[in-house]
Amino acid sequence: MEKFIIAHMYPDLMNLYGDRGNLLCLQKRMEWYGLNCEIKNISLHEDLEFSQFDMIFMGGGSDREQNLVCGHLLKRTDQLMKLIESGLPALFICGAYQMLGSYYKAQDGNVIDGLGIFPFHTECRQGRLIGNILIETEINGRKTSVVGFENHGGRTYFTDPIIKSLGKVIKGYGNNGEDKTEGLIYKNLIGTYLHGPLLPKNPVLADFFIHNMTDRKGIKLNRVLDDTIEKIAHEQVKNKILAE
Amino acid sequence: MLNLRKIAAILAGKLIAALSRMAGNQGTNLPGKIALEIYPQLLHELGQNIEKDIFLVTGTNGKTTTANMIAEIFKASGNTYVHNQAGANMLPGITTALLEHTDITGQKKLDYAVLETDEANVPLVIAEIKPRMILITNFFRDQLDRYGELDSTINLIKKSVSNTEIELLLNADDPLQLTFQASSSTKYWHYGLDVTNYDSFNGSESREGRYCILCGQELEYTRYHYSQLGKYHCPQCDIINPAPDFLATDLHLENGIDMQIDSMSITSPFQGLHNAYNILAAVSLAKLAGIEEEFIQSAIANYQPTAGRMEKFKILGKKVVLVLVKNPTGLNQSLATLVQDPAVKNLFIALNDNAADGRDISWIWDADVEVISSDQAHINQIICSGKRSGDMAVRIKYSGFEPAPIVVKPSLEEGIESAIRRESEACYILCTYTALFASRKILLRMQKKYPELEPERKKAPGKML
Ligand SMILES: [Zn+2]
Repeated sequence: MEKFIIAHMYPDLMNLYGDRGNLLCLQKRMEWYGLNCEIKNISLHEDLEFSQFDMIFMGGGSDREQNLVCGHLLKRTDQLMKLIESGLPALFICGAYQMLGSYYKAQDGNVIDGLGIFPFHTECRQGRLIGNILIETEINGRKTSVVGFENHGGRTYFTDPIIKSLGKVIKGYGNNGEDKTEGLIYKNLIGTYLHGPLLPKNPVLADFFIHNMTDRKGIKLNRVLDDTIEKIAHEQVKNKILAE
Repeated sequence: MLNLRKIAAILAGKLIAALSRMAGNQGTNLPGKIALEIYPQLLHELGQNIEKDIFLVTGTNGKTTTANMIAEIFKASGNTYVHNQAGANMLPGITTALLEHTDITGQKKLDYAVLETDEANVPLVIAEIKPRMILITNFFRDQLDRYGELDSTINLIKKSVSNTEIELLLNADDPLQLTFQASSSTKYWHYGLDVTNYDSFNGSESREGRYCILCGQELEYTRYHYSQLGKYHCPQCDIINPAPDFLATDLHLENGIDMQIDSMSITSPFQGLHNAYNILAAVSLAKLAGIEEEFIQSAIANYQPTAGRMEKFKILGKKVVLVLVKNPTGLNQSLATLVQDPAVKNLFIALNDNAADGRDISWIWDADVEVISSDQAHINQIICSGKRSGDMAVRIKYSGFEPAPIVVKPSLEEGIESAIRRESEACYILCTYTALFASRKILLRMQKKYPELEPERKKAPGKML
């Protein structure tokens, strides 16, 4: 059985709002597809070597924790950029997403440097953007709805039209609560404010990552999973959001 | 001389309380809020009517159960006391409780006050009334609390008791309570569990207190009782659990709770390790208050769980247990209790996302739901209900539980019926806050209607003469 390794970046520090649900989801689905998936926890004490991973996952954290993590990641940003460019699947949520941009301006005016991988920045303002969110996106040429919950003080603005948002906000706030965009998609990387957690009730996104992982190893997945329960959950939240 | 403003405040409060009770509301905050607006010194003055001691009970989980048990002990020992209602644990709710227990002039004397107090409200409450002691159950972080709010709450409590004569009754097994060690001006007592048969030796649950609060080093554990409560030491500063002044030994959870607290045997109809802690805390406080052992023992033995705290029903001849769950630690405890029960059971979980439940339900992914798949769990079927029944069903599915017996029934009524009627020996009904009272009503109605197995079912068709 082919083995896959997903790096869970800094689970001690970056772990908000049920982030581990995204990993549980990937791991179980891969098991059901007949694949072997190991989750490797990466801590601040470790030397980073991204090339050994099939996917990278990082969740949200507080400002203090983001600073620590950013310092550690900066050492290997060049390698990370190359791998993202070559199609490494990656999911960055909330604080981890913000870190991919050039900077984060805290509410007290303090500017924290980001990894600068993508041309966007985030400014923290008064009034957190909290609530259920529904967006519409296109995965592999197919329109699909994505549901989740958002809770962020930061407003993210793209500074170069070269980057594409993950989707259009139907209900909720998204990147900044102004331009109806939410998240970022670039090759096989997704950055987003949606937790809830994201993947279990949006199995299309979970499979987006799994198919990318298997494609990179030249494995073809023939099995189709029964997503009845996931679809019930997805529709339930979607209807609730549309009725709000 | 009569203080007319004070009388007006008490009257207004009592009137609003009566009206909201007539309207069927619990309305436990509004009377106190209005009364304090009319007469801001009210809480301070009513606090002076307590002749013996005022006790505050605070912490993340278990404060309602613990405070209720203390109140039962005071009742059994013939003392008069005031005690606030479950959940009404902020300044207005506490004021409501005191004004409802006083006469119109606000002069009536009582022996004790047992006040369940929200953690963040402790400094506010002790600015008004001087308690003899604060009992702390435990400190757990929940999903809304990862920005260090808990640490700042603990520090505020610490600050508000330093340089006072307030005593602290602390949980010796909770490393987060080591914070109070450094405040030398305070007198403290500790309660703790000895080794038990239910301890674990690894850290599978989310253990939030695992870093030393004094030096930041990761703590090492020789045992976990549950969550971060256990036998720990810090490899850097060498600190270990404080020695308990009240030690519980010989714990048995198979049939209710049995244990030995120092020389006293304690038996309770409650279930689960977390309730053993609540009993231990309540008994320790009662001992410090000077209550005689026989009253403590009988009060604990006779005290039945109240709404949503492992309340038991008998429906169709089955044991049905109702449990309130509101955060990952609570869900972990409830599931652990369910696994300890050897009966074959159906599990019903109602997840709502109304404001009182918390709009964000992602916390269900932080709980270790995986235990339901263990061999000892003996779960036949799982019925997911409530506004977010779909999310709950997905959580159960990804815990590895076989998908076939997961049923989604958003209606509480249908879901509960289905859970009880399907084959099993027992049923566990887990509910978030806003599903609790509706579910309880359904259970009470069913218990009245069909306490025993229905006769039609016992009778085989065609056997009639
Ligand atoms: Zn230490």
